[in-house]
Amino acid sequence: MIVNWPQVLFNSVVTGSLYLIGAVGLTLTYGLSNFPNFAHAEFITLGAFISYGVAHQLELSLLPALIITFLITGAIGFLCYRGIFQPLARGGANMIHLMVASIALGFILRYSIGAAWSWKPLYFSNVWPLSSLWSHHDIGLLSITNLWLWLIFAAVALSVIMHLILVKTKIGKAIRATSSNPELALASGININRVIWLTWFIGAGLAAIAGIFRGADTQIWPMTGWDIILPVFAVAILGGIGNYYGSIAAAYIIGLAENIGVIALLAVGLSTEYRVGIAFLILIVTLIAKPQGLAMLFRKA
Amino acid sequence: MGAIFAAEKIAAGYGDVVIVHDISINADEGEIVAIVGPNGSGKSTLLKSILGFARLFGGRIIYQGKDITGITPDRAVSLGIGYVPQINNVFPNLTISENLDMGAYQIKGKASIKAGMTEIYVMFPELGTRKNALAGNLSGGERQMLAIARAMIAQPKVLLLDEPLASLSPKPANAILSKMQKIKEAGTAIIIVEQNVKKALSISNRGYVLVNGTCAMEGEAASLFAEDFSKERFLGLEARGIDKGLPCVHN
Ligand SMILES: Nc1ncnc2c1ncn2[C@@H]1O[C@H](COP(=O)(O)OP(=O)(O)OP(=O)(O)O)[C@@H](O)[C@H]1O
Ligand SMILES: [Mg+2]
Repeated sequence: MIVNWPQVLFNSVVTGSLYLIGAVGLTLTYGLSNFPNFAHAEFITLGAFISYGVAHQLELSLLPALIITFLITGAIGFLCYRGIFQPLARGGANMIHLMVASIALGFILRYSIGAAWSWKPLYFSNVWPLSSLWSHHDIGLLSITNLWLWLIFAAVALSVIMHLILVKTKIGKAIRATSSNPELALASGININRVIWLTWFIGAGLAAIAGIFRGADTQIWPMTGWDIILPVFAVAILGGIGNYYGSIAAAYIIGLAENIGVIALLAVGLSTEYRVGIAFLILIVTLIAKPQGLAMLFRKA
Repeated sequence: MGAIFAAEKIAAGYGDVVIVHDISINADEGEIVAIVGPNGSGKSTLLKSILGFARLFGGRIIYQGKDITGITPDRAVSLGIGYVPQINNVFPNLTISENLDMGAYQIKGKASIKAGMTEIYVMFPELGTRKNALAGNLSGGERQMLAIARAMIAQPKVLLLDEPLASLSPKPANAILSKMQKIKEAGTAIIIVEQNVKKALSISNRGYVLVNGTCAMEGEAASLFAEDFSKERFLGLEARGIDKGLPCVHN
């Protein structure tokens, strides 16, 4: 079997970029609210559907659709926290209760999306029939699409912007402070509710952007988020919960592992459907060997 | 007498468990007041209940003549009450200057924050030389300095310190004590909880002795100092069976 390694590396960057955008919100809300929000998958799905809807109705191109979807899904994420998880946590719900509630919310959202829109896959190529997003260019050994370049660009932009927010702005430092010690944050005069609300807004908005790219690269259906939630969780856990810098490293490690894994699966004659198993393997090994993930390497987050 | 801060007949605890019973303490401007007592006597619980970190079952908190019972911690900070917890009192993943930024969270205006920052680095020069060091990498003494500095940058009128000397060797402990003297001289009232009774009373005006969640003794630091604080006596001190010390009074 001849392997086009440059293409494998490039695909790894594409995969890692998608997982990074999908995981940042999960790791930040997990770090602040202390429970894994399984409905994060549906924030991803909502992003795909909402962007499809606004692009279709308002005849928007990728960038404006992305911005509007970020804002709408961000608002939904905030409302989910404010309306469901915060009252539960106030009432004494522990991590397990909140996690189960998030699984339930995910189910409700997923099937509502299916009922309200459709279970039949939708394709962005229908709303943007003339778009060059999907046409392949050959550069040397690489075959790339504009969509993939946009995805990589979005991940790089996100990394830089989030970094600047977290280390340069007052609210960003407050997010890191609250994540590490909410009681001391309160005693410092930080209104930690506002910090948590903002983080849920940003987290859900970013999940939605991952949903747009996933939807544009494959298809849009009620399982769009669920299809990638496992590697997204693997990124959050390998990166260290709440650790933004760890999640950047973890996203590309998992992207690489998955794409090399696909080669390995092909080599032994197995279906590439097993590729999610690779993220699962990394997740399990991390939880057993180093539950704090890469966090020790990135103390600053 | 118009104490700047008074906690009256406090009953506090966690969940449904009452740990602290009927304790009254107060502090005047520019006064250091020590709260001492054995492990588990409820000292931290008393401080936490003032900020709302422990459950307040009864009693009132009066600050600058106003009843602020049941206030949220961020409101307390904005009114001028600073609090340094016993454990986890710095953000280890933030640098020294970022920790101070968090302490200055409610200060409005870049210029005032900068001025406050400069002032803090004058008061704590040892922090100024390592602004970009992660708090998690500091020594115990530096960490306590930073914890106090984080609270001080908000310019509190009352500073609540929970065991700032815990597990410090004599040199950094004395450095902390001299900072406290300076803070007091600048007019801030300090309420300090300490296990190190001698050191705490040595810089305090008055003190309270807590045993089993009640106030066993209170008085001038000098007179409490004269008490026999050997371990056996201290731990054996019964809430009401005291011969020498002054009984606790409620005002
Ligand atoms: N979060 C909590 N929930 C329940 N009980 C607690 C909690 N924190 C402390 N306690 C209990 O309250 C009692 C008083 O604890 P507290 O921390 O106030 O004592 P302390 O005087 O500060 O002791 P130390 O000198 O060891 O710090 C102890 O019996 C302790 O077990
Ligand atoms: Mg204590």
